[in-house]
Amino acid sequence: MQTAKHDIAVSMTGISKRFGPVRALENANLEIARGSILGLVGQNGAGKSTIIKVLAGIIKPDSGSIVINGETASTLTPASVEKLGVHFIHQDRLLVPTATVGEAVFLGHEIGLGPFVSRRAMERRAADLLKRFFGMELPAGTLVKDLTTAQQKVVQITRALAQKASVLVLDEPTAALVKREVDSLFDVLRRLRDDGIAVVFISHYMQEIEKLCDRVTVMRNGTDVGTVDPRQTPIDEIISMMIARDVGEMFPKRSVILGTPVLEVSNLRLGGSFENIGFNVRAGEIVGLTGLLGSGAKEIVQCLFGLKTADGGEVKVEGRELSLSTPVKAVRDGIAMLPEDRRAHGVALGLSVRENISLASLRRYSRAGMVSRGAENQAVDSLIKELSIKTPHRDALVRELSGGNQQKVAIAKWLSCQSRVYVLDEPTVAVDVGAKVEIYNLLNRLAGEGAAILLLSSDLLELVGVCDRVLVVYRGRLAGSFSGPAMNSDALLAASSGARSNADGVAA
Amino acid sequence: MSVSANDNAAKVSVRGFLAKYSVLIAFAAIVIFFSVASPTFLTPANLFNVLVNNVVMLAIVALGLTIVISSGGIDLSVGVSVDMASMVFVMLLAAGYSGVVGVAGGLGAALIVGILNAILITRLNISPFLATLGVLFIGQSTQQLATSGGQPIYLTSGYAADQFNAIARTALLGVPTPVIVLIVLAVAVHLLLHRSVFGRYVQAMGAQPGVAWYSGIRVPRELSMVHVLCALLAGVTGILLSATVKSYVPLSGNAFLLDAIGATFIGTTLSRERKPSVIGTLLGVLLLAIVKNGLLLVGWNFYWQQVGIGVLVFLVLAASFGLRRAAH
Amino acid sequence: MSATVLHTEVGVSDEKQAAAKSAGRRFGALVVRLGAIAAFAAIMAYFVIFAPGFTSTFNLINVVEQSAILGVLAYGMTAVIIGGGSDVTEGGIDLSIAANMGLCAAVYATLLSMGYGDLLSVLAAIAVGMAVGALNALAVVGLGILPLLATLAVLNVAAGMELTLTQNTVVGASSPLLGVLVSGSFLGVSALAWALIVFSAIMIVVVHGTSFGLRLYAVGGHPEAARAAGLSVPFYVSFTYVLSGFCAAVASILTVSRLSASTPGSGELLLSVLAAALLGTVFSRRFVPTMGGTLLSVLFIGLLANGFQLLNVSSYWVNGVQGALILLVVAITSFARGSEGSR
Repeated sequence: MQTAKHDIAVSMTGISKRFGPVRALENANLEIARGSILGLVGQNGAGKSTIIKVLAGIIKPDSGSIVINGETASTLTPASVEKLGVHFIHQDRLLVPTATVGEAVFLGHEIGLGPFVSRRAMERRAADLLKRFFGMELPAGTLVKDLTTAQQKVVQITRALAQKASVLVLDEPTAALVKREVDSLFDVLRRLRDDGIAVVFISHYMQEIEKLCDRVTVMRNGTDVGTVDPRQTPIDEIISMMIARDVGEMFPKRSVILGTPVLEVSNLRLGGSFENIGFNVRAGEIVGLTGLLGSGAKEIVQCLFGLKTADGGEVKVEGRELSLSTPVKAVRDGIAMLPEDRRAHGVALGLSVRENISLASLRRYSRAGMVSRGAENQAVDSLIKELSIKTPHRDALVRELSGGNQQKVAIAKWLSCQSRVYVLDEPTVAVDVGAKVEIYNLLNRLAGEGAAILLLSSDLLELVGVCDRVLVVYRGRLAGSFSGPAMNSDALLAASSGARSNADGVAA
Repeated sequence: MSVSANDNAAKVSVRGFLAKYSVLIAFAAIVIFFSVASPTFLTPANLFNVLVNNVVMLAIVALGLTIVISSGGIDLSVGVSVDMASMVFVMLLAAGYSGVVGVAGGLGAALIVGILNAILITRLNISPFLATLGVLFIGQSTQQLATSGGQPIYLTSGYAADQFNAIARTALLGVPTPVIVLIVLAVAVHLLLHRSVFGRYVQAMGAQPGVAWYSGIRVPRELSMVHVLCALLAGVTGILLSATVKSYVPLSGNAFLLDAIGATFIGTTLSRERKPSVIGTLLGVLLLAIVKNGLLLVGWNFYWQQVGIGVLVFLVLAASFGLRRAAH
Repeated sequence: MSATVLHTEVGVSDEKQAAAKSAGRRFGALVVRLGAIAAFAAIMAYFVIFAPGFTSTFNLINVVEQSAILGVLAYGMTAVIIGGGSDVTEGGIDLSIAANMGLCAAVYATLLSMGYGDLLSVLAAIAVGMAVGALNALAVVGLGILPLLATLAVLNVAAGMELTLTQNTVVGASSPLLGVLVSGSFLGVSALAWALIVFSAIMIVVVHGTSFGLRLYAVGGHPEAARAAGLSVPFYVSFTYVLSGFCAAVASILTVSRLSASTPGSGELLLSVLAAALLGTVFSRRFVPTMGGTLLSVLFIGLLANGFQLLNVSSYWVNGVQGALILLVVAITSFARGSEGSR
């Protein structure tokens, strides 16, 4: 890929940024060419989002220079960057929930006469744009909060397009999209590229990078370690540029001795979500559960923790039948849950490590309703040590911990409860590789101690690497159970998309 | 480079220190100021007067609000709880019932207010602000209807009434009875909020309700308890109030609301995370009481006192929030 | 790194489900809205049939006049809630608005009674009102104090200053302007009613017809999104508090004209102002505060009091019914939202 000087839309050179003692960026460079799609990859913490925030004018770099469309930009603010034609599609859907699609698309650039706006004109224009770029028939008077996640993403991209972006930066844009929408998004991006727009595409999904990007810049430890053509470079090579370690080490091996069934589910059903679900998880076993968005896999997990009440069926833990109507009962019956939304449900950021860890098991350290600090401290300290949670002190706020360590606190909460069944809902989302490995080790250890583990995940490599067996849910039914050599990501993908079912002979 | 970083760190920590101790610093400054400005300020007689007349009743209401605010909620109807307890207590005594019946009836009335709040919040999922605002409206209406538009009820005589009035005005071992009531309640609420399992659950609900729910805590039950306790504490104030003044004046409880909220939030500036605490709340109440009394002693009338209190609360909040923001 | 992650292959069932869910939610919201409006309509119908003279032009104009003060204040409150977001503990709220009106009324009446002219007195009242609003803005935007707390402190300051100024007495006032407001009329509609009509029209146009209003909603609805769209969130939030102060000043002139004096106790209006601004959300498809919704609920509160009066029901019921209505509306709303099953 050769790019002449005038084809460079944005050139960032020698960017450095420190946060206290932490080097977020160290002499990092990023060059974005017109008429091409640049992939930007790297682990969490590699500096991807920091360099993007520098470009967005949200973070001021300590040193380095930025040239946008041939002009050296001295101080960038979010507003000035937008004026220069650089637009960002953030990972969070930055849309006003109570606005209509038309209002959301044109916020800040309203259509109207003088100070007055014409909502009808905005809605018509927005509908036109949606149809033109995405072939989407969306009444532009719909409220943003009534849209699906994917539709909201599309509205956000439309918003940038409506403002005639010359550089478009997309941060993990496909995370919530279904396949068809991903395809049409890619078509749009290619069309934009052909129109001469510079596109930056940040993604964790390597096959998307391969499919879409003309070049890919890899970041590691706050600097750019190389820019390659993804079509001529094997994915493995790009991944090894991102991490200094071999991919094979990620999933620690273990030897399993399976015990008796601890969690027994039979004939479980929930109207509109799933039916006739039955499976066992034995002591020491890690069972994976996967399925597409809307397949019902998520709802199964929610029913097991009493977050939703099943319409029928049986759930037994160690032979005892449970009535799971609220989390209160689930916890009492020895079920532990690691929720997907860590900040909303997993750990209370404003409480200390100690308070979080002991929250579910407080009765153990109390007498006559009063907490015994000594017993609590002892238990908490030993868990902090056991899980090697990196915290300055047991009374430090969880907010001050890294994502991986927060997740470990959330797990420690249940360890102190001595739960028999662990239900984990996407436990490694937004956790960096190092912490992931630690979490996998922890799962292995829990299993080794005789716990039954059910792992809901959409990361197929993770499932194959960690689980003894993986159950696939397709349209509300178990579409297959895979173990041993039959358990590979191709088979899981095929089963979850309905292309193939059944490996071990599960009645579906 | 490293020098400026150190410098910065020092600045930040000075600001952090000021932010953290703004209440204590303000407190000390105010005590010193009034001691100099008014010779009577530091006399035992005056301090006694402040304690009994300005601190006790407000503090008990504020204790209740401390629990509610810890749980992440608010109770705008504390005044109604005060009034209802006061009204039923006085009505029962006026009708010739014994003191025990009067107290039980008064607390029962407050309990009803608390349960009503609890039902609205936990069963009907109304936000605490709106639920208790609605109860405040209804409570005011009820009082007006029950007293034909707000006529006070006076306890003219009667054994029980005099007895209570006497108790309210006597002292045990030199400590006035109401103060003893306050100390007992404050210690109890402190233990409950900061040492008990229930208190920990309250803190968790206040920090992140979702986490509490996902940890198997019976959030609706604990939240109901929170609102009932708050109403009961306000009810105690209602009874103390009518025992002291030997009457029930409709809608008088509302006067406590703003001061109690102010005191609780002044107290939150003591903690890094701006969490309410019993000690902080008591300090807040004391601060408000001393300023009111001090302003009176230096010759400010009732009206100027209100301005003074407003300015003071504003400054404490500004110091706490503003310096913290600067420190970040 | 996760190289293989599931993307929905077909996604049809998912999309259908989402569409059904969204349709269900919209339907639920519609039911709530219609239900609440039907409840309001039923109460009105009852008054129309049973309250003598309820529908007479004289009576209705009387209600509009009575509602003018509440309405102007409620617009200020509504603007603050729009710009600050409707989260009740963290969001925008101006508890000082009624006390501010009392202070402005005191300033206005005192200046008039000291012999100053209308122009100067009105300007002074407006300056005071906006200054109090600016103080709120400074506290909330500049110092980052929670609006609930900041305006609570300012409430005390304003109320105390009013008391200091008037010594808790009634300050009589008369002036040419007040004369016009009291007895002037145009097209058979009194000046006070005109004041509400004109003020309402301005507010509705500004908030719902201009890009300024649209941006104000964005700032309150999702500050991050507003910032990302290049809007200055502090400016808009500050503006609402100053506007709220301005509304307090305008209302103060109306109240002085109505009573021919400034009187203590204006703080009691606060609850009605809050009720009007909160009840108004039920009239909006998006369940957000709107100026039109606020106007309707102000008139509704006015008609409620008036109907009770005509039916010889004790006015002490009015507060209670207001409270019960707030609870009813909010309970139904939260029920409609909760039935989506998202806990």
